[in-house]
Amino acid sequence: MFRIPLLVALALSIAFGVGIASAVSALKATVGFGAIALGPWVAFPEAQTAKADPYARAHRARAGKLLYGGAEGLQFTAAVDDTGAKLVATCSYDITGLTPPARFWTLYAAGENDMALRPGPELPSAFNALTVLRQTDSAFVIHVSAEAQPDNWLAVRETGAFKLVLTLLDTPTAGSSGVVDLTMPKIVKTGCGNA
Amino acid sequence: MRSVLFAILTGLVGAALLHIIIILALPQFTGKDAYTRVLGLYEMDSFFALSSEPGSTGLANDDPFLRVAVCGFSIDGGPARFQASGTVPFWSLVIYDANSNEVFSMNDQTSVNGNLDLVVATPIQLVELRKTPAESLAQSIMVEMTDQQEGYAVLRALAPTSSFEEAARSFLAESSCEPFRR
Repeated sequence: MFRIPLLVALALSIAFGVGIASAVSALKATVGFGAIALGPWVAFPEAQTAKADPYARAHRARAGKLLYGGAEGLQFTAAVDDTGAKLVATCSYDITGLTPPARFWTLYAAGENDMALRPGPELPSAFNALTVLRQTDSAFVIHVSAEAQPDNWLAVRETGAFKLVLTLLDTPTAGSSGVVDLTMPKIVKTGCGNA
Repeated sequence: MRSVLFAILTGLVGAALLHIIIILALPQFTGKDAYTRVLGLYEMDSFFALSSEPGSTGLANDDPFLRVAVCGFSIDGGPARFQASGTVPFWSLVIYDANSNEVFSMNDQTSVNGNLDLVVATPIQLVELRKTPAESLAQSIMVEMTDQQEGYAVLRALAPTSSFEEAARSFLAESSCEPFRR
């Protein structure tokens, strides 16, 4: 005799459970549509505009970040290396190459909650176009590692997954649709653990 | 058995509807969006320089090399004027409306003489400003804000090394965000 209420309860619990879970996971998984992906680097040039899709709007309302305007810059994040494996702080990585044309760029490592990692005041935790050491062809190699490295060392703590955030300031990349031709620095894993 | 399948199917259709409703309605009720956080600073009409550690509102200097200041403003009673000047290697400003849609953005190379001087106004206020141009607005950039009366501005100043820190801080400290009065 409880069959009908049971069926109604089943339908309602599926509706609310799956509906809420899918919405939350969709917002956690991505910032929205309209991403430009250059290798492991992903940017959302229209996430802050009125043209943003509903997922991007919901995501930015939930994250509450101060996004970059079109004339300010474009922020690329990378959570994986060039082979598609997740960036983890127990491994070391080399970031090599050049950035797309921009007046200035900054690079730092961020944790899962998008806050910049601060391994300690005496450790190098971020680079920019002025402080990075370059090779003779003006390309750079940045070693991301928990252990001290020669030359450009971006220190991370051994605390699981992290992201790399590359911000191009005043870049033609932000407004151009020809962004796909641009080359971003490569992220290559050089080793894991103490090996 | 068939009625159980039917109940599951109904549930899934309901889930799809609920998913769409949540995604579309979320910006109205999160209470965590950037505009609410800016209002939570209780600093209308002046630029509030953020610290590197997130405060009670959760806003902070995300980038280690960029110093950020925010200002909530309303153009209900009159235009808002944004001014800043100083020597920093790079600065940029973006104006958002209350829904966090970008209204206008600029940087030091798109400014007049490298100084920030911007007036945000409704279309009607802008017509009045243009009809009788004020002497003090000769160099100002005029921006029209059509749909919304409220919004916030984000001003960023670059400090690539610690020696630029002082300049970036004073650039943000001396910036102003005020209602414009003739």
